[in-house]
Amino acid sequence: MASLNPGPSEGLSAVLPPGPPPAPSAAPPTADGATDLLSVANSPVIWLCALGVFAAIFVQTFVYMRAARTVGPEVGMSRTDLTGAFRAGAVASIGPSLAVVLVAVALLALFGTPAVLARIGLIGSAGTEVASAGIATGTAGATLGGTGYDASVFALAFIAMSLSGGMWMLATLLLTPVLERGGKKLASANPALMAILPCGALLGAFSMLTVTEIPKSGIHLVTVIASAGVMVGCLLLARALDARWLKEWALGFSVIAALAVAYLAHAA
Amino acid sequence: MTTETSQRADAGMAAFVSTTSRWGRITMTTALLLSLAGPVHLVAFTGVEVGGAQIWIAFAAVAATFGVIWVLEPLTYYPILGPAAMYQAFMIGNISNKLLPAAIVAQDSVNAAPGTRRGDLAAVMAICGAAVVHLTSLLVFVGLLGNWLLSILPAELIEVARLYILPAVLGAVLVQCVATMRRPRPTVIAVVAALLIQFALIPVLPGLAMYATALCVATTMALSWFLRDRRPPGEALQEGDTDPVPSDPHTQPAKEGR
Repeated sequence: MASLNPGPSEGLSAVLPPGPPPAPSAAPPTADGATDLLSVANSPVIWLCALGVFAAIFVQTFVYMRAARTVGPEVGMSRTDLTGAFRAGAVASIGPSLAVVLVAVALLALFGTPAVLARIGLIGSAGTEVASAGIATGTAGATLGGTGYDASVFALAFIAMSLSGGMWMLATLLLTPVLERGGKKLASANPALMAILPCGALLGAFSMLTVTEIPKSGIHLVTVIASAGVMVGCLLLARALDARWLKEWALGFSVIAALAVAYLAHAA
Repeated sequence: MTTETSQRADAGMAAFVSTTSRWGRITMTTALLLSLAGPVHLVAFTGVEVGGAQIWIAFAAVAATFGVIWVLEPLTYYPILGPAAMYQAFMIGNISNKLLPAAIVAQDSVNAAPGTRRGDLAAVMAICGAAVVHLTSLLVFVGLLGNWLLSILPAELIEVARLYILPAVLGAVLVQCVATMRRPRPTVIAVVAALLIQFALIPVLPGLAMYATALCVATTMALSWFLRDRRPPGEALQEGDTDPVPSDPHTQPAKEGR
């Protein structure tokens, strides 16, 4: 979820300073503090819960695909189109997935494997979850991965992230049926409106998310431009060559090229 | 199309929505409970020292930051995702940097307009495809190989990915989104609104930064409607719902609503 907030660092600096009283009896950081934290974070029950979330999503994916196959022909969506959409979605997500993997690996030392899988990999995203963890850690008078970040503070951060993510899911569970009823009414009353609103929402969301990145630093700006430029090139080339596969791989190429540019700019 | 096929399509779609809503809610509730069970177990049954008061303070601090977003984000993405995909998206996460891009690419690939039935189905299938790739890559590269990767990947590379993942994904996605929609007016409105919000409004009212996306979405939707091209009447816009798919979408740049 996530991405409506400006980003982890901004969120943190804005919220952390006036922290409530320091942790009552947070153990001082000890030499074995880190191993202690990771052994707690990697405990079997936490692993089971994380894998359970994976299982729930796999079940959902299976049910949804079967339902789509059943209805497809009746609304003018052939088997070929359904498979095409599935494949396009799969290919388009390879680039972003690898990027998420890199970020998730970077956070393993902070949260342990199962919490990273469940919170950063699924449900949330790196931005919001790290921000939530940072805020929660701050209320205990510690900093994320720094002084005072022991097993207890990790547990506090973990439960705060999970409650926050839970509220998102709760809002989705409560709001979706309401919105569905409203959408149906709107669709029958004004079909032209329903054709414009999704496009407007999509364009508005991505314009704002992209523009938010620009003022963060020169490298952010260069990265946005590189990413957009490679995409323009790929799309033009795909049109010229009539290459549908290139349209689907374009996002992956753009993400990798843009990260390479960011890497060079960062090193310079 | 005839009334009969239209009725069959209506009934079929109603069955699809009821199946996906029921299972969407069941699986999402399961994931919600499981995701809370882990940390609750940690706090209740292991030696960590976390008190109830501490949890409430931490939760209040997080709620102060994200409380409005909890409600705003589902509202923001609903018109794009449709009811079925809502339950997928908010469970899989990474909506803006992964699921929406996948849905856009897929809708473009099979030439289905967002907000139509074909568009909704294409989005659902795309998110299924994205979910399979995402879950598999997470299980393999983070679950199984994560600690090994952490030891061999250069720290700088991981740092760069962490810092610049959003701009690296979003620049390309915005271009793809504009190219797929082929709606010049809403595109200009969206970009101008985003620039004004970022560089004119937020410097004056920094508190709005948290709600910038929701604000931009609402502004773009409203202005796209009031400033719409009124020449082609509404029916031109609905065609995407029922039209048979052209065999090769790439050879015909013009889409409905132009």
